[in-house]
Amino acid sequence: MSFHHLDQYATVSSPVTRATPTARVLAATAIAVGTAALPLGAWEHLGILAGLVVLVVAAAHVPASLILRRLAGPFVFVLAASTGLLFLVPGTPLIHVGPFGISDAGLQRFGFVLGRASVALTAAVVLVSTTSFPELLQALRQLRLPAAVTTALGLGYRLLYLLVDELERLQRAARSRNADGGTTRRRRLLVGITAAGLSRAFARGERTHRAMLARGFVGDLPSLAPKSWDLGTALVLTVLIVAVVAIALSAHLRF
Amino acid sequence: MAHIPDGFLSAPVMAGTAAASVAGLAVAVHRSRRHLAEREAPVLGAATAFVFAAQMLNFPLGAGTSAHLLGGVLVGTMLGPWAAMLVLFAVVLVQALLFQDGGIGALGANTLNMAILGVGSGMLVYRWILGLTGVGVRRRVAAAAVAGAGSTVIVGVAVAIELALSDTVPLAPALVAVGGGHALMGIGEGVITGAVLAMVLRARPELVGGVPSPSGWDRALAYAGTIVAVTLAAGAAYLASSKPDALEAAAARLGIQEFETAYLAAPFADYTAPLGGALMAAVIGVIVVFVVAWVIGRAVTRKRLGV
Amino acid sequence: MPPLLAVRDLAFHYPGGTSALRGISFDVERGERVALLGSTGSGKSTLLQHINGLLTPDAGSVTVAGFAVAGDAVREVRRRVGLVFQDPNDQLFLPTLLEDIAFGPLNDGVDAHEATYRARVILDELGLVGVESRPAHHLSGGERRLAALATVLVSRPELLALDEPTGDLDAVSRSRLVRLLATRPETLLTATHDLDVAAALCERGVVLHRGAVVADRLLADVLGDRELLERHGLAAPLDRSG
Repeated sequence: MSFHHLDQYATVSSPVTRATPTARVLAATAIAVGTAALPLGAWEHLGILAGLVVLVVAAAHVPASLILRRLAGPFVFVLAASTGLLFLVPGTPLIHVGPFGISDAGLQRFGFVLGRASVALTAAVVLVSTTSFPELLQALRQLRLPAAVTTALGLGYRLLYLLVDELERLQRAARSRNADGGTTRRRRLLVGITAAGLSRAFARGERTHRAMLARGFVGDLPSLAPKSWDLGTALVLTVLIVAVVAIALSAHLRF
Repeated sequence: MAHIPDGFLSAPVMAGTAAASVAGLAVAVHRSRRHLAEREAPVLGAATAFVFAAQMLNFPLGAGTSAHLLGGVLVGTMLGPWAAMLVLFAVVLVQALLFQDGGIGALGANTLNMAILGVGSGMLVYRWILGLTGVGVRRRVAAAAVAGAGSTVIVGVAVAIELALSDTVPLAPALVAVGGGHALMGIGEGVITGAVLAMVLRARPELVGGVPSPSGWDRALAYAGTIVAVTLAAGAAYLASSKPDALEAAAARLGIQEFETAYLAAPFADYTAPLGGALMAAVIGVIVVFVVAWVIGRAVTRKRLGV
Repeated sequence: MPPLLAVRDLAFHYPGGTSALRGISFDVERGERVALLGSTGSGKSTLLQHINGLLTPDAGSVTVAGFAVAGDAVREVRRRVGLVFQDPNDQLFLPTLLEDIAFGPLNDGVDAHEATYRARVILDELGLVGVESRPAHHLSGGERRLAALATVLVSRPELLALDEPTGDLDAVSRSRLVRLLATRPETLLTATHDLDVAAALCERGVVLHRGAVVADRLLADVLGDRELLERHGLAAPLDRSG
């Protein structure tokens, strides 16, 4: 198993990858939050933020086709979720589809929610495409997330690979013994694999703990020096955050 | 829709849920450290990897549908509620950042729902039931199954309320659609949680956190809690059926203005009418799910343990 | 000067009840290279974990460079003993190789820049170049072994304690690792059931059987004693009638 495809543009040198991971996380968060916080109907403001995201995509040297491909999965999910709005939001009915009615307000809300979601999603996709997991973890540490959480993620990352390999082995072994079972049988098998996975994860954690103790671990995971900030990055990030906040605020004042 | 994407929540809801999550996580960090001490790092790492891996396994439910484990209650029975909250937060965080499963802006809401409320309510139900019944292997499995189902429903209700407060969808249809969906997921969660816990209790019982046998006080508290909850539920039902205006007024005060005045799209208009309010429909739905989960939980324990 | 490692009447049993070690005694002097031979379940891994203070004995004692392995002295002991586990995956637990290798020095209070530098030096020494920012699951089996070795060599231990160092390696990686270990200056205590590896690395052999030392001689003598090896599961006749 591999998630390596996720960050294939992390090693491509661009203005985005040269910025410290922390700045990238903050920028993506600012754009996503700013977009998500736009009041319903603020189409112009959404347009400006969408333009901003397009600029970031260009600066990251990530091909548009890749962004679109990455967007497809989450977008389908968002589309399904927001389709509900078409029918659930009250207003003047426009179209009747069988027993369901689509209202004008429903259509508007559907469109705007979808728009907000797409822009925020794109910002997140750019982040993950340009930032490797170790860099992301470094950023989360620098952003002062609780040490327990960054430690869980740091150790969980390697363990996940080992665990998924073991689960796949278990699944293969089970399949080789009973090539085709019914749904009930498959379900019972999966329960067994999940339970085995659970005890293996904790057994591996225990052995890792011993290996950590052997190298002087006393309870806090130390970390290497993170990539340092430079003035340019700090400046660009500040401008970007101020711009996003200004756009979101002006939208709220208008609506 | 357990993971809310960006775009569905309003700014105040994002800010409020984020603040609540930060507060909840702060408590969890403190309590988890005290509970796990220097074992904390590897144990949390292992549990995080497990939840992540378990969420990749799809359980066939029949009729071409499948579901996966959420894992909050299962991990809670191993590590206690506080550490489990941190584990679920770590998972939700990575899902948002790496897989766009849930929005970055909606991270506060998703954390509140799945890590804080999901694990917290599930573990409350688990301890509550054990307080009523005492701790045995079968009782624990049944309690975990019910808690798993119940916590999933709570997550669904929380999502619905957040969507309604954001003015994205009116509360009543949101409760029916999102809450109903989660009620179905809850059945799967309950069954899987119970079945996996039963196997772990048999193969590696030392992994499951000990629950002290309830003292007289614990039992009294659990019974008192049950009586209060039933009384409240009965009172709410009476209020809803006899004086629907009072409930509406309460809803309006909570900022859920569109409660009754709204034009409801066709299917829900019929649905809600005979019950005197969609809220009642949701409440009844939740109770039905609890009962179903309870029955399934009992069935699971009997089958898995061969008694 | 006390011996680098002194094990006296060491006894231990796991919570399950089976006795893993029953009164083990031996010394290792500085510069010695000792093979700890024994079949699976003979107590080799259990013994190695006592030398690093990961297990606490029921009776007896372990002393490393004059420090009794107990209480506060365990930190001093762990700084001097580099223990390489049987499964390198247990030892490579961080998202990148560089972090894994810097882990020991950082725990010893070395600052981040110095720890990074030392990690790069040791990677260079072992010929692991260009993989430092990768996670361990993107390494080959041989590279993973070397990396696990690097995680302890970086702290410049006096005693290198290896648990089945060639366990799952193919022939080429195995010979590469043995050649590398043969040039290391550290005192060596290596648990193995691979007699060829023992012969290539060590001068002295300590044979363990069911938690007790049954032989402690020159390795050449041990390897020449066919009857001893067969009795303790280290060699088996391969003819068809057997």
